[in-house]
Amino acid sequence: MAETTDASVSGRESDVATSLSSVSPHTLCSSVGGPLSPAEARLWRPPAQRNLRNQWSKLASCRQQWASSSSGGRSHATSLVNAYLSQRYMPSMDLGVLKDMADIRKKACQKLFRQQELYQSKLTSSYQDMITALVNMITAWRSMRCYLKGGTSSPLIRFSYIAEDKSDNGDGSGTPVFTFLSIPCFENLAEELVEMFKSELFVKRLIVFELSCAGHEASYIKDLNWSNELYSGEFNDLAFCNLYSSKTHELLPPKMKGCRCDMPSEKHCSQLTQETLQVYVTAWLAEVNIDMHRSYVLLQSPTDFKSSTLCRVREIFSIVGEEMHVNFS
Amino acid sequence: MQQLLRPGSLPPLLASEINYSHFADHIRNRHCSCFRWAMEGIVRKYQQKFKRVREEMDRWEELQARLLSQYRNASSIIERLQVIQEAKNYGILSSVDGIGDAVVGKQMDSLLMILLSLNKIMEEFHGIVMSLKKIHRDSRQLVKGGSTQLTVKQLQQRLGVKPSLQDCLDGLMLLHDMHNSEYLLKSSIISALPTVVSRPSSTDLGSLQQLLVDQPNIPKEDVEFIFDIIFAEDMC
Repeated sequence: MAETTDASVSGRESDVATSLSSVSPHTLCSSVGGPLSPAEARLWRPPAQRNLRNQWSKLASCRQQWASSSSGGRSHATSLVNAYLSQRYMPSMDLGVLKDMADIRKKACQKLFRQQELYQSKLTSSYQDMITALVNMITAWRSMRCYLKGGTSSPLIRFSYIAEDKSDNGDGSGTPVFTFLSIPCFENLAEELVEMFKSELFVKRLIVFELSCAGHEASYIKDLNWSNELYSGEFNDLAFCNLYSSKTHELLPPKMKGCRCDMPSEKHCSQLTQETLQVYVTAWLAEVNIDMHRSYVLLQSPTDFKSSTLCRVREIFSIVGEEMHVNFS
Repeated sequence: MQQLLRPGSLPPLLASEINYSHFADHIRNRHCSCFRWAMEGIVRKYQQKFKRVREEMDRWEELQARLLSQYRNASSIIERLQVIQEAKNYGILSSVDGIGDAVVGKQMDSLLMILLSLNKIMEEFHGIVMSLKKIHRDSRQLVKGGSTQLTVKQLQQRLGVKPSLQDCLDGLMLLHDMHNSEYLLKSSIISALPTVVSRPSSTDLGSLQQLLVDQPNIPKEDVEFIFDIIFAEDMC
């Protein structure tokens, strides 16, 4: 069994001890803040690389997790909408020979309503899974640095993924970790990803909220409030994602690129038309905030379309994957 | 008798009877055992070719399934384009500025991808048509390219329940023609799709889809009839 690779994949080790007789801890620390000497870089690189590989493979798996929750959510939303619309159309539905059965419409509506509630709870749990994916993404994004551990007092040069010394910002002073990219570059790419998913989460929340009031009594809708939790603990998660302020108890809509997002006014939502519901489901499916930058080159050269369909998310993962020789797709 | 031997109109009954009488002619005229041996060899080669045609047709079916599912995806996007282009349909989402354009843009992207993949599927259909054409052309070489030119009579010669060479040739030609016409029909429907985008009509999309499903140029019974003649001995 290869222990070294095992450790680098699992990432359970929080710090890595390395000793080298030629470089004393003192010389390493004295230059913190300045560029690393070749010897220092040689010591710092392996743990930093290991950490980055771990964090990025976490990001990749979060992305998969998001995608599967999102597609599950879409099918729940579609079923919910269908159940709701069937109830609405029940009075005008032609039931043929069944129309003489007592209370048949009423019973059918009750059953459809129960179905609708079932799909609604499934939709909420898909939404919850998406938040979990986002929370994990943000955690990975914030854990990309690699710090020197123990300062000068320790005879061993050790590294940690938790900051101990304020003068050490853990980025290896901008040294390329693998070939070209420094830690801040990796962080920027991760942040770009996180921002896309944050904006998308907000859109999803609007849709979940709207669909949860579809077909309910007016009294129930009055109690429903945009600034109530959709599931218990939601605001803790949203606060972690900077989408909720625990001080002012308000949701903070993310800034979309070139877009403004108002807080929705406390509108009644009982008047959902079929078209609006269709738009909701389409908007859920479209994930407008993710992969926003699909190139339109393919219009001009349809033959060349494989190379030009790279969307931003895939592009980010391929840049990173190429740098660290890992295939994320 | 001649009339009965014309392929296509050939009824399966009495076939053996007719063959034997023709065969008898040859016993009189030729060194027949050698001839019979050669004929059987050619027929076996033809049957191999029909097996290859069958494989191509199985691939056609796979493509057909992919084509239909992509076509359905395309038409559902086209159908909802109008709805998602109207700002009044956005409900609570209108509080997100620019979402309408983004949703429409995304859907157009997906549509474009679907159209591209439909075009690729059409290319694969074309590949099948070309390979059917090649099989037919090669099969003509089997009887016409050799040093011995076969007479019409020999082409129509039937040995037992085995098909005549003419049956084989005509079958291959028919199968190629059917698939070629169907390919042309499909490709005109698919190339019309982008123009439907500008003025969508769900009835148009629906009836075009039905046409794709039906494949009117490849009548199933006729195809099976051809294969039944060629592989008659396997059914006995």
